[in-house]
Amino acid sequence: MNKMITAAIFVSSALSIQVSASVPDASPKELQQTVPAAAQVCLSCHGAQGQGIDLAGPKLAGLSSAYMMQQIKLFQSGSRQNPLMQPMSMTVQGDNIKVVADYFASQSVDKINLHYRGDKVVIADPAEKIAYQGDWSRDLPACFSCHGPSGVGAEQFPRLAGQQASYLKTQLEAWQSGTRKGDADNMMGNVASKLTAAEIDQLAQYFASLK
Amino acid sequence: MKFQAKNILGVAALIGFNLTPIADELPDRQQALPSVAKQAEHLYIESAALADIPAGEFGDKVRLGYQLFVNTQQLRDKHVGNELNCVNCHLNAGNKANASPLWGAYFAYPAYRKKNDKVNSFEERLQGCFTYSMNGKAPESGSKELVALSAYSYWLGMSGLMLQHNVAGPVPELSDSELVKGAKRDDFILPEAISSKMDQNALAQLPGRGYPAVPKAEQAYSPERGAKVYQAHCQSCHGKDGQGQMIAGVAALPPLWGPQSYNWGAGMHRVGTAADFIYENMPLGKSVQLTPQQAWDVSAYINSQERPQDPRFKGQVTDTQKQYHQHDGYYGKTISGKVLGSASSANFPKK
Repeated sequence: MNKMITAAIFVSSALSIQVSASVPDASPKELQQTVPAAAQVCLSCHGAQGQGIDLAGPKLAGLSSAYMMQQIKLFQSGSRQNPLMQPMSMTVQGDNIKVVADYFASQSVDKINLHYRGDKVVIADPAEKIAYQGDWSRDLPACFSCHGPSGVGAEQFPRLAGQQASYLKTQLEAWQSGTRKGDADNMMGNVASKLTAAEIDQLAQYFASLK
Repeated sequence: MKFQAKNILGVAALIGFNLTPIADELPDRQQALPSVAKQAEHLYIESAALADIPAGEFGDKVRLGYQLFVNTQQLRDKHVGNELNCVNCHLNAGNKANASPLWGAYFAYPAYRKKNDKVNSFEERLQGCFTYSMNGKAPESGSKELVALSAYSYWLGMSGLMLQHNVAGPVPELSDSELVKGAKRDDFILPEAISSKMDQNALAQLPGRGYPAVPKAEQAYSPERGAKVYQAHCQSCHGKDGQGQMIAGVAALPPLWGPQSYNWGAGMHRVGTAADFIYENMPLGKSVQLTPQQAWDVSAYINSQERPQDPRFKGQVTDTQKQYHQHDGYYGKTISGKVLGSASSANFPKK
């Protein structure tokens, strides 16, 4: 119930922004500097620069356009289930999917100190250990193998570094329960299914802390 | 233009210019990786944790070996000529049974080879990996890199055997010259609790070594069918064009063909070897198990693409094929009107 009310507030505030914001009819380059009309609906939860608003919407800056386009389509088809994002994603259709994804993909993220596999041999932090070494006694690959150094991601592999811990946690849980699908061969569902609840907490905190 | 350049190289080779120093020092054959029957899981040795590597000089070599193994790009342009890392094919940092673990190889060397009537040490095998799989230039015998990789391999194997046979205490330290030889030799010192139960031959065939043999497929392998398998199960990570995925300057997902992958002399270019690897280990973490037919077909697809030249190439693809490629590979064969090997990229190119 609460969620519904919150959703309603977000939608209405999104609409008010839409009215007041300038909607340029300009070249793609200029479009990136002001918010395209189609993306207005996203701002109240994800922030004007896609910086994310805690508990409302995850950070979009740092994700690739290809990834976000794919996710919008997965929300629309129901492969990704989320009571808020399903209706919201339906408001973005056709060419606008790319417009919205390109806009948030062009937003900058803070530079972080990158850590590569092998920088550390012995890793005490359990989440960092999974991130860089995995746990092959249960066929659990390192997060690094797909999300890259410090989990910065690229293309269809989303950036984990600096993402909200609450979001990372709910996503790992969604992959586990099957309310999030849509990757090839359920790779991520398979990985998530091997994680314990404690590990999910630790991994969420760990990647969120990489800023 | 390209053709001319090749001719010049060919002439230079004929009149004895040492333009291709790498090729002259190469062994005549790159031995195929063991393709063996899969054994029960409880038989695999389990190495000690990396945290148990001792402090001190010996431990430092082991740690450096681990670091080079998982981030081999540290040696780019020095010894490595592509975007690969050892860990790409030897999963879990060379410590995974059935993914050609280092501990399996370490106890199988030195190995006598009839072909060249020569005993090959462990470091010579490692040199082969640099020359072929890494499309690079091998570190010299006794170099810091080969000692470190040998030390790491030895430590994984010995700590695993000691745990399996309840031998307490630290892994015995070996000198550099002993480390690079490998463990299959009479003067290799083993704790009595181990040597009383396992002889040299048993140790050279540790369960989980190499890649387990993929079952025979019903039909002959086909790159055309393999393309469909690739699209369905591989390309989301390795890319439409097989070039993997670069993230923050490193190939988090390794390229499978083209100039940044292993060359035509690497064991993985053999259809059987790659099929073994794929069937057992791919997709990573095994979210889906391919059928043997799919593994053979997709291996044929991947290995019927161009890649860096065989370093033993002396100017004629047919000669290299005749001498070194009488096995299940595509070198010298015609695919889509092109002879594979005729448009191969360079060996050990700088980044």
